[in-house]
Amino acid sequence: MSFDWWTLGLQTVNVLVLLWILSHFLFRPISEMLARRQAAATDDLAHARAARADAEAARADAQAQEAAVAARRADLLSSARQEAETTRRSLLEEARQEVETLRADAQAKAAQHRIAAVHALQDEAAELAADIAQRLLSRLPETARTEGFIDGLVAAISELPEHTRAGLGADAPLPVRAAAEMSAAETGSLAARLSEVLGHPVTLSVRSDPTLIAGLELDAPHAVVRNHLRADLDHIRQELLKHD
Amino acid sequence: MDNPLTLEPLFHLGPVPITAPVLVTWAILALLGLGSWHATRHLSLTPGRLQTVLELFVTAVDTQLRDTLQRDPARFRALIGTIFLFLLVANWSSLVPGVEPPTARLETDAALALIVFAATLWHGISAQGLKGYLATFAEPSWVMIPLNVIEQITRTFSLIVRLFGNVMSGVFVIGILLSLAGLLVPIPLMALDLLTGAVQAYIFAVLATVFIGAAIGDQPPAASTQETRP
Repeated sequence: MSFDWWTLGLQTVNVLVLLWILSHFLFRPISEMLARRQAAATDDLAHARAARADAEAARADAQAQEAAVAARRADLLSSARQEAETTRRSLLEEARQEVETLRADAQAKAAQHRIAAVHALQDEAAELAADIAQRLLSRLPETARTEGFIDGLVAAISELPEHTRAGLGADAPLPVRAAAEMSAAETGSLAARLSEVLGHPVTLSVRSDPTLIAGLELDAPHAVVRNHLRADLDHIRQELLKHD
Repeated sequence: MDNPLTLEPLFHLGPVPITAPVLVTWAILALLGLGSWHATRHLSLTPGRLQTVLELFVTAVDTQLRDTLQRDPARFRALIGTIFLFLLVANWSSLVPGVEPPTARLETDAALALIVFAATLWHGISAQGLKGYLATFAEPSWVMIPLNVIEQITRTFSLIVRLFGNVMSGVFVIGILLSLAGLLVPIPLMALDLLTGAVQAYIFAVLATVFIGAAIGDQPPAASTQETRP
């Protein structure tokens, strides 16, 4: 067995040289490349995380904007609904008021028409009553249309004030309207009764007026005393109108 | 067949005899050096096949170192990686016809073991200081000092003998079979020799790592515990 120390030395140097070569040309570049790749991967991961964070922030912003838009839309819809409701109520109120006004006007007009119709009917009824009375009285003697009313005319004149009665027929004939032609006797009787009531002699100026239907009317300048059916019918009609 | 325990110079460079192991080692050195230079000329972040294989190899070495030493593998990567790569290529060089692996010679194995021994001393003293490193020889008791010193020497010799015996025996057996049985018969044994060569390279590298790890102690520096780990 032999041991070559030169070979030992050369192999030691050879291995050391190989150690330097591989360290310089293999292990260092490869490990540096691994480190670079790891750093690049770390950077990429960091960038990816940042991009993801940005994307999430952008998504959150978009969601917030979407929520704001939705809230704005809801507000606009709500305000529009409220405005529409207000407008609808206003229009309904206006329509209701207009309807009320129209109905009130219609009711007023209807009432006026009804009152006018009532008045017309009353006038017609009065005319009809006068006509009926006139027809009925036409069947009676002419004296019944005047003589029966002398007492009532005298009684009414007697209720006049004293100074009024004193002035009646004092200086001129008393104008008297009769529903029918009065006979001389009837005229004399009436003059006598009036003279008695008035306290002084009077003369009469009698003229016939068929519109009175039946009765007499003293038509002095200062006093008018009516005692005939036309006046009664007019009075009744006035009372009816007053009650309406 | 030549006697595996004797070594004859092929030629002389001045007074220096150049033997076959040295010549083969120069070839391996050139092969690995040029190959490394060529493979790492154009490294990129998107690796090709060759770069992927190299990165896988470096990553595997780093992982092995980190798992064994429990610290940053950067300081030990070149030494252990070079030992493993050289041993692998040297052991497998027996496949080349007419080439005898340099590791089948005691001088090459002794050179490697000597480098491991020196690296063990260097890293032990660097990590713990001279006194701290020498104090490890007195653990667990000063009585153990002679045994620990002897252990340092014997385990270096065990590295030499283990590698030399395995590789030399493989080469010797293949040579005997080749001379007796012909061309194709040694092929299974050559395949087995490939496995043996890879295993021996791995064992030598792992043992070197373990020896260095024992020398630098169990407490890793706090700053070096964080390593770039792909």
